[in-house]
Amino acid sequence: MAIKYTTQGLLIYAAIAGYLLAFIVSLLGGKKAGRLLQLLGFIMALFALAYRWYHVGHIPLQNLFEVFLALGTAVYPLGLFCRYVLRTPGRLADMLIGAVVLFPAGFFFSARPLQLPPALQSWLFGPHVAVYVLAYVFMAKAACHAVAHIASRTPPPGDEFISTEQSAHKMICVGFPLLTLGLVLGSCWGKLAWGDYWGWDPKELWSLASWLLYVGYFHFRSMFGRKFARINCIWAITGMAIIVITMLWVNLSRLFAGLHSYAV
Amino acid sequence: MHVGAISVLAGAMWGSSVAHNLREKLFATRKFQTAQMVIYEQQAEKHVVSEISGKVIELPFSIKLKDFRIKYYKPEYLHIQASGDRNWLVPVEIGNEVLLDSDLGSITVLRSFENFRIKIDGDKRIAIDANGPGSNPALELQLKDPNGNTTTRYAFERFTAHARPEDKLALGYYRIIRDYISELQIIKDGKILAEKSIEVNHPLHFGGYHFYQHSYDSENKQYTVLMVVSDSGLGLVYAGYAMLCIGVFQHFWLKDIFKKKRVAS
Repeated sequence: MAIKYTTQGLLIYAAIAGYLLAFIVSLLGGKKAGRLLQLLGFIMALFALAYRWYHVGHIPLQNLFEVFLALGTAVYPLGLFCRYVLRTPGRLADMLIGAVVLFPAGFFFSARPLQLPPALQSWLFGPHVAVYVLAYVFMAKAACHAVAHIASRTPPPGDEFISTEQSAHKMICVGFPLLTLGLVLGSCWGKLAWGDYWGWDPKELWSLASWLLYVGYFHFRSMFGRKFARINCIWAITGMAIIVITMLWVNLSRLFAGLHSYAV
Repeated sequence: MHVGAISVLAGAMWGSSVAHNLREKLFATRKFQTAQMVIYEQQAEKHVVSEISGKVIELPFSIKLKDFRIKYYKPEYLHIQASGDRNWLVPVEIGNEVLLDSDLGSITVLRSFENFRIKIDGDKRIAIDANGPGSNPALELQLKDPNGNTTTRYAFERFTAHARPEDKLALGYYRIIRDYISELQIIKDGKILAEKSIEVNHPLHFGGYHFYQHSYDSENKQYTVLMVVSDSGLGLVYAGYAMLCIGVFQHFWLKDIFKKKRVAS
């Protein structure tokens, strides 16, 4: 763990502080002040991302530091999308997710700027990683709703879903096509760069595992979901756990050395 | 969605090495799945080595390597190491004097070499950039000690942290690779059928195969190594991907939007 005494680091810490204060203030009942602080956190995260983009000269999605910075920025606009388009609540979860994903970018991952190696110089680099960033935010929000559903003491009345389970489903419905697109774009890129659209790389396998898990979620929910709403939620949480493995463990552990190892 | 997934799996099976071997046995087709080929600059080659069987196979056309080159990012760097774990990574700028710590003095890059050689001329030893085969990137440096005495030193890319026992500084020439480029010509019966500069992410597609920039002669940069991959089944895989994406977006995004519009109307 190292503190970054740079403009980049300070912007990230300001964003974390904004999101965390927003969470605490909202919990204490200050909804309007919480919303303002969250907006402030987002603006700081956006500045941090823009600063990084300008500094490295390419779309900042190359390594874990840049991806987590992008996640911390994307969570606010996607939260607004969920609130006003999907009609799914979850502002508190957005604040918490924002702070949690920016934390490793601020304290753990190296911010050393890197040039793009030849394999990453492709028009598919931006879209492939960006759709995954968007999908992961939706899936993280869905997992929060799933946890809220399991934690809620009141069981679902009759055969109707309660709102947290339904909202988790809605967000997974938005995130899943993005997850599919990310997998397909990655495969097409693999064909161009490495000569094969499937290389049995650990990152590819875990991405496929998370995609298949959500496929299982949809099939299970379609068949038994009305009876076992809580089990739907366990699928959603497990999906997020596999996404965390795909994002972090595969890159940080020596167990999974592979073609995506440069993304640390 | 489901047809798309089946199409991807069918394409993968059709393009597998097992399917290639089976088609060879049943229909005597000569298409291989994956192979590698080595081509020297200004030479044409039509033989590949199968990655699976290790057999040498002849292509129905030959490939000429007009030129192989490596592009580097700017700036390039001079890496300086001194006692006490002192490190500097200095951008190379010809003629620019870089001040080090007070006990070390300063350092100036005088010129760069792609193929550094020492020519012996009587009693003199002259550093030259040789035109012939080989690759030895280097920098010529002028070191000025705190007393104002100057000496000439060299930093090498292939011998990083280069230092003699009496030297205070260990020096290295550091460059970041931007791209590998092979300029290729497809030749059959003396005619040029296709021409392309391939690089990572930009393969050449010809005669049922994709040709990828795979490796190179890291010692002398005289030859390139291409990976040759059959395109069998690729159409099915891509069609499956398209169906899968269209199906997933239609089912989860568009259907819902159209349903809402119908309800609204």
